[in-house]
Amino acid sequence: MNKLLLLAMTACCGTALAQTGTHVTTAYPMPDGSRDTYLGLGVQSAPRWEGAAERRVSALPVLQAQWSNGIFVSGLTAGMHLSDQPTFEYGPLLALQPGRGDAGMGRGPDGTGAGVGLTFNGAAAEPAFLRAKSGARLAGLDDIRTRLLAGGFANVYLAPQWRLTGSLLFGAGNDRDGARLELGVQRLAAGLGEHHRVSLAAGVGIVNRQYNEAWSSVTGAEAARSRFAPYAPGGGLHDAHAGVRWNWDWSPSWMLTTNLEARRLLGSARNSPLVERPANLTVSTAVAYHF
Amino acid sequence: MRSRHFLATLALTLTAVLSAPAAHAQGAGGEWVSYRDAYRAMVRFEKYGGPKNLLVNALQVVPTGNGALGEGAQLTLSGKTVQLNLPLDALGRTVFPLQKAAYDENAALTLNRKGIAFTVRPQVALVSRADGQYDAAELRAACAQALGYARWLDPAQGARGCAGVRFMYARKLEAGVRLRHAEGAEQVLPVVEEGSGAAVVYRFGASAERAQVVTANGPVAILPLIE
Repeated sequence: MNKLLLLAMTACCGTALAQTGTHVTTAYPMPDGSRDTYLGLGVQSAPRWEGAAERRVSALPVLQAQWSNGIFVSGLTAGMHLSDQPTFEYGPLLALQPGRGDAGMGRGPDGTGAGVGLTFNGAAAEPAFLRAKSGARLAGLDDIRTRLLAGGFANVYLAPQWRLTGSLLFGAGNDRDGARLELGVQRLAAGLGEHHRVSLAAGVGIVNRQYNEAWSSVTGAEAARSRFAPYAPGGGLHDAHAGVRWNWDWSPSWMLTTNLEARRLLGSARNSPLVERPANLTVSTAVAYHF
Repeated sequence: MRSRHFLATLALTLTAVLSAPAAHAQGAGGEWVSYRDAYRAMVRFEKYGGPKNLLVNALQVVPTGNGALGEGAQLTLSGKTVQLNLPLDALGRTVFPLQKAAYDENAALTLNRKGIAFTVRPQVALVSRADGQYDAAELRAACAQALGYARWLDPAQGARGCAGVRFMYARKLEAGVRLRHAEGAEQVLPVVEEGSGAAVVYRFGASAERAQVVTANGPVAILPLIE
């Protein structure tokens, strides 16, 4: 499904490119018809699911692309910059949210944080032999299927290096009725020509009740066949997170991108019986080729 | 199990880090700047829809260490098929070529000064006049255009205002700027040394005055003074 989605996005972008105008009329500051693409591979260490005590190291593909008409793909997030103002960015956003099986969440490609500034870890099924090895810690809970979320984003620049970020996505969970609002602040990497670029980000996630019901609840039926007690969460503040991304440009074509994010579950999500460790770290590093 | 995962992560990271020198080959012989990064910064001026007819936009090379560019410095734009030399003026500036080919080839900008690390930045200046005579009102208008552009890029510039303009010269000997008042009286504006060059500052008065600024020699650039 992931591959199909990416192919569909690529096809969509190709069509849109053919419709764009002259050199400087594009929605994004690049020549008309051009694109920036990063492809790479690395590793990521992350909790098996949000709140899990056990970690998992997995291969991490890197995928990020920006087209001159404003369309971008970063990890498994895709969207379009509609503003031509340098201090205000907004547009529609699609994201593929990983599902969760009895061994935890899936994984998918990451972005580089360069230019687009939006990253999202997507879904990929874990091989069966690894699931068996991990002990299926969530056995008895219903699987949460991978979902395509839709919504929008808006970023306001307070200064060239500082921006407030926001995104709203709908469609999470098996009933496709979960919504998540993400609010944050970022300090972007500065300096043209500097080969070490460090950017900082912090923010909170706010979700509706349906989102937490999909990800943090334990129904009576699930409690009967699992090791968890029944739990009915509400909505509200879901998590607070802070991260640092370091991009090291070796040449115009090659880079090392490293990301560290600390996340703490809050509110109803924090109190879920699925949560073994409310605060967790996700670390990734990857080599990417820029073409 | 965990330690094995950690070791695997560490091994891959080290592999990536150790392979850096090989990947750095494109920038061999000196530092480099990505043409795409420079392009994205420079094309903003082209996209700006506000008044800008009294302004010019240039790319300025700024050494990050103690090194100076000196005479004869130039940037070289190198891509797969694109090869272009961009001579720098005394302020380290050059006209930046907005080329789709160079962008698509992910070209690099290198400096013909070995061992000098540098960054680049856009620099907006006022258009110079061939006769060297500038009405004070015109300089005010040009500075206001530069301020408008700066505010479009950065909302934090909202509290700042135009204080004057600076006439930049490569050498102190070349610097000579007079202020000619409406009644005919003339006043020589003081020259200030700046690095290896010099600057003459013309500060705007509290109220608009009918005066002319006359330059004896053409300045390298006229920069807005925004405070």
